[in-house]
Amino acid sequence: MRVHVIGIGTLHADDAVGLAVAERLASLPLPEGILVRTCARPLPDLLDALEGADAAVLVDAARTGAMPGAIRRLAPSDLARLHTPSSHGVGVAQALSLAEALGRAPARVAFVAIEAEPIGRDRPLRPISPAVAASIGEAADVALRIAREMQDAGEGEARDA
Amino acid sequence: MAERRTIEVGAIARVEGEGALHLVLEGDRIVDLRLEIYEPPRFFEALARGRRADELPDLMARICGICPVAYQMSAAHAIEAAWDVAVDPSVRALRRLYYAGEWIESHLLHMMFLAAPDFLGLDDAMEIARRHRNHVERALRLRKLGNRILILLGGRSVNPVGVRIGGFHRIPTRGEMRALAGELRAARAEAELLLHWFASLPVPSRPQDVELVALRHASEYPMNEGRIVSTRGIDTTAADFDATFEEIQVPHSTALHARNRTTGAPYLVGPLARVTLGRDRLSPAAAAAHASLADRFVQPDPGASVFARGIEVIQAIDEALTVLDADLSPPPEPRPTPRAGVGHAATEAPRGILYVSLETDAAGDVRRLRIVPPTSQNQAQIEADLRGLVPRILAASDDEGRRLAEAAIRDYDPCISCATHFLTVTVERRESSCEST
Repeated sequence: MRVHVIGIGTLHADDAVGLAVAERLASLPLPEGILVRTCARPLPDLLDALEGADAAVLVDAARTGAMPGAIRRLAPSDLARLHTPSSHGVGVAQALSLAEALGRAPARVAFVAIEAEPIGRDRPLRPISPAVAASIGEAADVALRIAREMQDAGEGEARDA
Repeated sequence: MAERRTIEVGAIARVEGEGALHLVLEGDRIVDLRLEIYEPPRFFEALARGRRADELPDLMARICGICPVAYQMSAAHAIEAAWDVAVDPSVRALRRLYYAGEWIESHLLHMMFLAAPDFLGLDDAMEIARRHRNHVERALRLRKLGNRILILLGGRSVNPVGVRIGGFHRIPTRGEMRALAGELRAARAEAELLLHWFASLPVPSRPQDVELVALRHASEYPMNEGRIVSTRGIDTTAADFDATFEEIQVPHSTALHARNRTTGAPYLVGPLARVTLGRDRLSPAAAAAHASLADRFVQPDPGASVFARGIEVIQAIDEALTVLDADLSPPPEPRPTPRAGVGHAATEAPRGILYVSLETDAAGDVRRLRIVPPTSQNQAQIEADLRGLVPRILAASDDEGRRLAEAAIRDYDPCISCATHFLTVTVERRESSCEST
């Protein structure tokens, strides 16, 4: 069973944290069937990143009002309430519902949100803020743990069937 | 006193980057109309200073996630002009293939996911996917072929890295080119079907009294080369861009506005301008598609831009096939010699002319870089178009007025991320004017 861990983001301030988590994971020896992907624009790149996946863990910066760097595991149904920074106004939730409408969404999707500082308008090409950067390792662990759970659950279902 | 209405679109959806529209009406008078661009201003022109010029293709690919090829191409050509580098004919052909990939990708993204919801009266592309799944699948398939061309020559589709001065880092093998050609041959019919579907939708018309500006090449549809021409008699070279057009700062935007230096009037670049000025350079299939929609191209009509994009998708597929079928001989390893020089280049980004001028010192380091992206050239025209739309906005509810204005802005497929420049003063003024309104 293939699980894609997909880091979403652009190289702009804390929006880059999803990419940094993907980079961290890609540098580790990963269990078979867990693949790392990145995606700059939810639409349409997320559709490409999901291709071939039986399950997916999306890792992205989000703003929910929590402390910067806080890591939360969310279900896709929670996404609509979040502000996930994105270009052309089409966020992760909409890209996922497009994948669903086209019958391309994996059976299981989890979302790891890392609380970002507000993306300023005044300082372009800013690096990831220290509070958020400090969470990259833990977020990578969380994403990997979820990916393994998904694999186990998928194999359990396959045995039961 | 006349009733005062304020229509604000806080964050315009389905455009590249972040922009806002602020419109204040008093009776039937426009008190204020501003397309505000508030993407973080970008430092690229300053950032490049002192760096090696041959780093520019990689660096500039980062300006835009949608049109990196355009930035790479204009930068590479400007440097080649400055250093007097002769470009091998095979490289020249492969650059057309590369650019065609970007046009295909960018145009389909806009047509299906940004623009189509306006014509169908649907909220978003997800609704379209539910109701018109076959067309969405078709657009995604075609877009992916564009993506594959980008990966073939750029190494990857986001922030591609394959371009170097005088050529590419890796030349695709014949086998790779043949495989792609097979898929593209089947794609042309798909592109025609998709355009046919768009032509069946109620796409509104909004003729404008505006000068169209595009590149024109002696025999080809414009991409990497050509003179800069217009529907009102401009016929010049990239080196004379500054003598022909001027950029002006406006307080409400971090993008510069552009206008014709002689008339002081806005002008329009992009697919509509290219299709109009380069109609006789279209491939037979693209020309046939244009002929079937000829009544939409009688006057400059941003509403017809979506058709121009559809025609250019067919054109780009044909351009790509021409290169893929040509059995090109591998180009020699480029060996450019850095030197002091000045170079100018204009190429046709998916959204229109992208002008770059630069100066290098004897070591080949960048002393000066200037970038004029298509969206900043179009911004004054977008505002002029919106002014013309005011009577209809007045007759409509605020919600409907907002929808009309947003759809009109989207017709230009503005890439706001590309258009922003760094202007501290402008940023501060913009914020204070926001507070006072």
